[in-house]
Amino acid sequence: PDWFHWTRTSFTEASRPFAGLSDVSISEDIPVEGDISVPVGSSRRDEEFSTLDEPVKETILRDLRAVGNKFIHVLYPKRSSALLRDWDLWGPLLLCVTLALLLQGGAADNDDQGGPQFAEVFVIVWFGSIIITLNSKLLGGTISFFQSLCVLGYCIMPLTVAMIVCRLVLLGSSGTVSFAVRLIVVTASFGWSTFASTAFLADSQPPNRKALVVYPVFLFYFVIGWMVLTFSPSQ
Amino acid sequence: MYRFLDTLYILIYYIQNHFLFIELCQVLSHMLPSAYTLFHPGQNWRFQHPFASFFHLFFRVVAIVVYLLCEWVSKSFTSCFVLIITLLSFDFWSVKNVTGRLLVGLRWWNQIDEDGKSLWVFETSRGQNIGTETEARIFWLGLIICPLIWTFFFFTSLFSLKIKWLSLVVASISFQAANLYGYLRCKAGGQEGQPPHTSSFTGQRFLQRVSD
Repeated sequence: PDWFHWTRTSFTEASRPFAGLSDVSISEDIPVEGDISVPVGSSRRDEEFSTLDEPVKETILRDLRAVGNKFIHVLYPKRSSALLRDWDLWGPLLLCVTLALLLQGGAADNDDQGGPQFAEVFVIVWFGSIIITLNSKLLGGTISFFQSLCVLGYCIMPLTVAMIVCRLVLLGSSGTVSFAVRLIVVTASFGWSTFASTAFLADSQPPNRKALVVYPVFLFYFVIGWMVLTFSPSQ
Repeated sequence: MYRFLDTLYILIYYIQNHFLFIELCQVLSHMLPSAYTLFHPGQNWRFQHPFASFFHLFFRVVAIVVYLLCEWVSKSFTSCFVLIITLLSFDFWSVKNVTGRLLVGLRWWNQIDEDGKSLWVFETSRGQNIGTETEARIFWLGLIICPLIWTFFFFTSLFSLKIKWLSLVVASISFQAANLYGYLRCKAGGQEGQPPHTSSFTGQRFLQRVSD
């Protein structure tokens, strides 16, 4: 079988690369243990792709199921391993694109192509997530860079749902009633997003630093919620 | 149309004024014979994974073409942005999960241990199903040239002050550079030498698999 021929070099984030696995006796304090105790997932990977057609479909389905699973975990935010262990950035990318598309066509656009607004959403979401991640890492968090990006990205989902609801409400009317409805929906989803992401992020911090980590997350979702709430369609 | 002309003008400017262009020509002249053998049946013209080779290049090249021709096809920045990001996402996924393994036998991923530590794994294979020399050349040429082209677009959009396209180019560069970096690390790891005690290592892995 093919896996016999795979040789592997592994790097943890903190250790420097070691020269292959040439001396197993060195492996006491280098995490070769984590290397040899291979989780079931990667032995599954070894058997894939013996033919091109079938396994590609399987891999696509596996990745799609992983992404869908994480969306469900955002709906019931408790500290679960799904968002943290198998991080991926496809969900955040999809949510970011959806949110940016929904924020198109607003009255604030002076450019008929909606250009600046679209790129603005991208920049705010990704740059904001990176800044929050750096902040939590500088405060000594144990969560890794991409895990944090994954959590922050997936927790934009409630605000995206709120944007869909807002656009539907705005199709009907633009008066005070619709504003009140939109305010309630956006506030609820903002609270949900913040609560969901802090359920994952704050756990990785020592207790006296939790507020310092939560505050930028609060600000991040506040800005996005503000963009959603102040959206008004052009006449 | 203006963006395409900007690109062309800046290219011509640098051709006229930079001696580096001479060296680039020399590099290309070394690569061209290899490129020639890709399209002419000879000793090295063998394709073991034709679909993988095709798709490795397809999404990248189409993304670049769409970026250059975008303004002729559609007036909307949004649809161009979404189309390019979609193409590059497909490209990222297929290069990382499919073509790397099939064409050159390299693989990289990240996994999180039970205690929450992040582990980057880079693998090299010497199995039987690896692509031919031609396909390896296609793989590396495609992997290296496209990020260079996007970096070039970064400078052209920066100097022509079209800032909204800059966000698109930065996103594209991050997609392409991630795969390039991962595969270069795989390659570097493979050349550091193979473990002599592979029998015990694979023996333990075999036990792990049996007990699963």
